[in-house]
Amino acid sequence: MNSSYVASVVFLKIQDFASRAASEQARQRAQLEAVIAVTTADLAPASRVVLDSSDGAAIVVLANPPGALRLAERALKASAAGLPLCAGINHGAVRVLGSGVGEAMVGDGIAVAASVAQFAPASEVRVTRAFRDALADAAPGQEASLVPKGASTDASLRSHELFTRDRAELQRRGRAYAALSTAAVVVLLASGAGWRISQQGKEAFFDGLAAKYRATTAQGERYVRGLVEKAKLQ
Amino acid sequence: MSKKKQIGRYKILGELGRGAMGVVYRAEDPALDRVVALKTILLSDDVDNRKEYEKRFAMEARAAGKLNHPNIVTTFDFGEEGDLAFLAMELLEGTDLRTRLKDKGLATDEAVEIAVQVADGLGFAHERGVVHRDIKPGNIMLLERGGAKIMDFGIARMRSDDFKTSTGMVLGTPRFMSPEQIGGAVVDQRSDVFSLGVVLYEMLTGQMLFAGTDSAQIAHNVTNIEHEPLSRRNKEVTSLLDFVVARALKKDPAVRYQDAYEFAADLRTCLAELRGRPVTDAKRDTTKTVKLARKIDSKQPAPVAGAIAPSTRLSLSRQFDSRAALKRLAAPGMLDRAALVRQPRSVGLLRRICRDAGPRLLFLSSLAAAAASGYIAFG
Repeated sequence: MNSSYVASVVFLKIQDFASRAASEQARQRAQLEAVIAVTTADLAPASRVVLDSSDGAAIVVLANPPGALRLAERALKASAAGLPLCAGINHGAVRVLGSGVGEAMVGDGIAVAASVAQFAPASEVRVTRAFRDALADAAPGQEASLVPKGASTDASLRSHELFTRDRAELQRRGRAYAALSTAAVVVLLASGAGWRISQQGKEAFFDGLAAKYRATTAQGERYVRGLVEKAKLQ
Repeated sequence: MSKKKQIGRYKILGELGRGAMGVVYRAEDPALDRVVALKTILLSDDVDNRKEYEKRFAMEARAAGKLNHPNIVTTFDFGEEGDLAFLAMELLEGTDLRTRLKDKGLATDEAVEIAVQVADGLGFAHERGVVHRDIKPGNIMLLERGGAKIMDFGIARMRSDDFKTSTGMVLGTPRFMSPEQIGGAVVDQRSDVFSLGVVLYEMLTGQMLFAGTDSAQIAHNVTNIEHEPLSRRNKEVTSLLDFVVARALKKDPAVRYQDAYEFAADLRTCLAELRGRPVTDAKRDTTKTVKLARKIDSKQPAPVAGAIAPSTRLSLSRQFDSRAALKRLAAPGMLDRAALVRQPRSVGLLRRICRDAGPRLLFLSSLAAAAASGYIAFG
């Protein structure tokens, strides 16, 4: 199993883990495992690999960037239950090493996710440009909820462009498209009317429009009357 | 080295062993009528080196002589005769940990108990400003009557065996060294904590933690490779013990146990867990006596922490079954393989219209409005 694959890596980091007492670390680790058990239940077993890290866990999500983002968000809700988590997501190369007991995964995908998680404040997620692109590819439009949050340089002097999740941005975008669509409809209809007026003149256009309106109204009245007659006969 | 019958005032009774520094004899102290272990160290022929060495030897031996603790071998006396420096120490009946590990290994609770005792001994020495710097199985003696004692305190750093860095600095055995010691940085008590963590790992798994074909490779592994969780190799290891050992083995000393007593206290909790009984308060009270030269705010990230690049190698979690995904990666179908290796593509206009609700609404409403507009204009 030597091939490299491209996957989304969600790195869940327990904040200040190293500075806590061992018993507290054990408790938090157990809590994290419970959180992962719940959040990974949404994903098919064949699409996720859970890895241990010294201060959290990494979940490699195969071919499902939206799933990776959902997983991170659900895991972060655990912060409310007293587990100080933050998350970093990257989309990059991963590789399986070894077999059996010593099985492990390596790759830039994991390393960058771990670096990015270090820049995330408590209960927040930070994602890389690569993940944003992967999300755009898998679910066009969803990437709009990932808004820029600056850039940071990690211990290896690699610079990462960071994004964070902002659900309100999706709603703003939805409203903007609705307004744009309305405007387009108005403009197109107005241009059609404008063309007709320029050809026929204003009076003829409005007379025609009024005649059409009366004809349509009369047709509607006849139809309703017919229905009433039918009802009376029955 | 010719056979000697007497060194200093000590009468040689027999040879106990030979090491890198010299010979260890069973000897009698006629003044006190006591049998001791007499450790000899061959002095350098170089006059300048020798003076410096003698000075340091005296200083270290004095420091070691102050360490009177049940888990540290007591040093009675030191001196020089001819080309030999010697240390008279408590004679112990037992086996060293290295031999014991080779012979039959240790039960999990037994290993933790030994580590507790060694940590207690280290804590005591650290309080008095003495750092061992060469904690390894060969320097831990398991007594016949039970208990463990640390040997070679104070003089361990004077040894000139196994390992040299590229800069020529003499350091000792790299397999049990801390990353900062390998890097040639100033070491403190936390370095001994790391070394004891490595020893405990080996006691619990029976396997070397940092293996390698040569010193350079071992040194690289010590500095860069994260250890595999203990519980993967020894099913008796509890998750708490896993954490305790992991904390002792942190590459960054600022996030490691800051003193050996703290390590010993957590190991006691693990031992109690292993033996299924609660920890007594009396045992817990033996913690927190070491004063660090510099107070470290454990809540703040350590200054060097950022400089240590995290290893990208992460082990599979034992708590979650990832076999299905690994099977998929091992033998993906043709289409699946394409999906698993494909880099993200940019989203084209057509795909955007088909799959993105916003642009789709704009496109469809514009299309409808255009049709209506055409009807108005020409219909």
